[in-house]
Amino acid sequence: MSARALNRPRPARVRCSGPAPAEVDGERMQSLRESWLVEDRWWTAEPLRRRYWELVGCNGRNVVVFHDLCSGGWFRQSA
Amino acid sequence: MVVCVHLPRFELLVAAGEGSQVGPQTLRGRPLAVAPPTGTGRGGGAGTAGVGEVSQAAEASGVRRGMALGEALARCPQLVLLPADPVRVAEQWEAALQALEAIGAAVEPARPGLAYFEADGLRALHGTLAATLAAARGAAARGALARGAVAHPVRIGAAPTRFCALACALAAPSRRPLVLEGEHARRWLATQPVGLLGYREQTAMLPEPLARLGVRTLGELTRLGRAALSDRFGEAGVLAHGLARGQDRPPAPRRVQERLEESLEVGDASSGLALGRVLGVLVRRLLARPQRAGRSLRTVVLSAQLAAGGGWRERVVFRQALADAERIRLALSVRLLALPGPACRLGLSVECFGAPIAEQGVLEDRDARAWSARRAARAALLREALAQVRSLAGGQAALRAVCVDPASRVPERRVVLTPIPE
Repeated sequence: MSARALNRPRPARVRCSGPAPAEVDGERMQSLRESWLVEDRWWTAEPLRRRYWELVGCNGRNVVVFHDLCSGGWFRQSA
Repeated sequence: MVVCVHLPRFELLVAAGEGSQVGPQTLRGRPLAVAPPTGTGRGGGAGTAGVGEVSQAAEASGVRRGMALGEALARCPQLVLLPADPVRVAEQWEAALQALEAIGAAVEPARPGLAYFEADGLRALHGTLAATLAAARGAAARGALARGAVAHPVRIGAAPTRFCALACALAAPSRRPLVLEGEHARRWLATQPVGLLGYREQTAMLPEPLARLGVRTLGELTRLGRAALSDRFGEAGVLAHGLARGQDRPPAPRRVQERLEESLEVGDASSGLALGRVLGVLVRRLLARPQRAGRSLRTVVLSAQLAAGGGWRERVVFRQALADAERIRLALSVRLLALPGPACRLGLSVECFGAPIAEQGVLEDRDARAWSARRAARAALLREALAQVRSLAGGQAALRAVCVDPASRVPERRVVLTPIPE
């Protein structure tokens, strides 16, 4: 068996208001804490381009989601 | 009678085999060459390194093995360069050698694609020399094909000495061996070109100056006399004179010992600190193998499959035999700096074991003894617990989380799960 990664991204249902997510998996987001861009492996056939959003939900919980700029999907991940 | 087994253009065929961008079906008729390894050129830079094995079409354009890359491309602008894959070459060559050993041959490997063995002892096993040679041909072809996608042609030669057997193998037709005996072998050897000396490491530099001097055959070389060759070329000249007269040492078979190997798909931990941590996991897994039987490691081979294609392989001989995981990791992590690109798979195998080393502390110290006893009892309990968990929930139930790149910007690359060695 080979090594496998922990903390893999899980698909998320995201509704946006403008560029930032307004709702993640049915939970309304109250504020945006931070946003950052990750670009890596651009020299390979499988480049990685993600726009991360760190948000605070209505219940005060931190939520980190990212928009995969290559595939277009939204994912949830502990950053 | 010495038998020479020759698999022509072995490294080139492996490089153009499975996983190559060119593919074996397009190999025929195209000018190909194995690209020089990165950063190991004669002048220290990649640009001055020589090309590896070349195809017949490239040879027809004047490209030769060892030629500087710039000169090769100038002679043949259509030359296709294949990334060298020393890892797959070593694997396939080892499979071919093991197949030869399986027919009873005590094999001396000269280089990938070239091996010798003494056939006299095998006649009782296979009946005749012809049957022995047929068995060797089949074994070498099957062994090389077992791990590769390309069928390797096999040339077999048999003669009284290694050098003469090599000359026979190079001149042999593709489907039947060339066998020469006694005085006839010596006379035939005298008609062969001096270029044959290029196959022996000690005399590899001689064919070029000899050609400039107008010496074309081995017979002409022997007529120059031992003293003249010694005066002009030193020890290499004396050796060349002996070889040309049909004198050579008998084959020195390799010592067969069990092979211990560990490898790991590195995923995103393809370079830098993360790869160093994967190396640490590999070292611990290798040391935990029960086949090691407490022995220390003297020589290991560190290898990697590169993400961009091709491979990298480095043999590391420790200053002293080691059994300490941290010291081994430190010694090997320096070598990872020479990796020419990001890796997708890292491998570590033991080539030579050292003497067994006691891994506990001071035996006379009562506290140390009690401590090591407690440690052994705890390890036994853990092993038992691990075996129970695995028997209940499967082989992947108990895993260890290893921080491979804690500073990575991509969260899933920071920690990986790896199996716990038994």
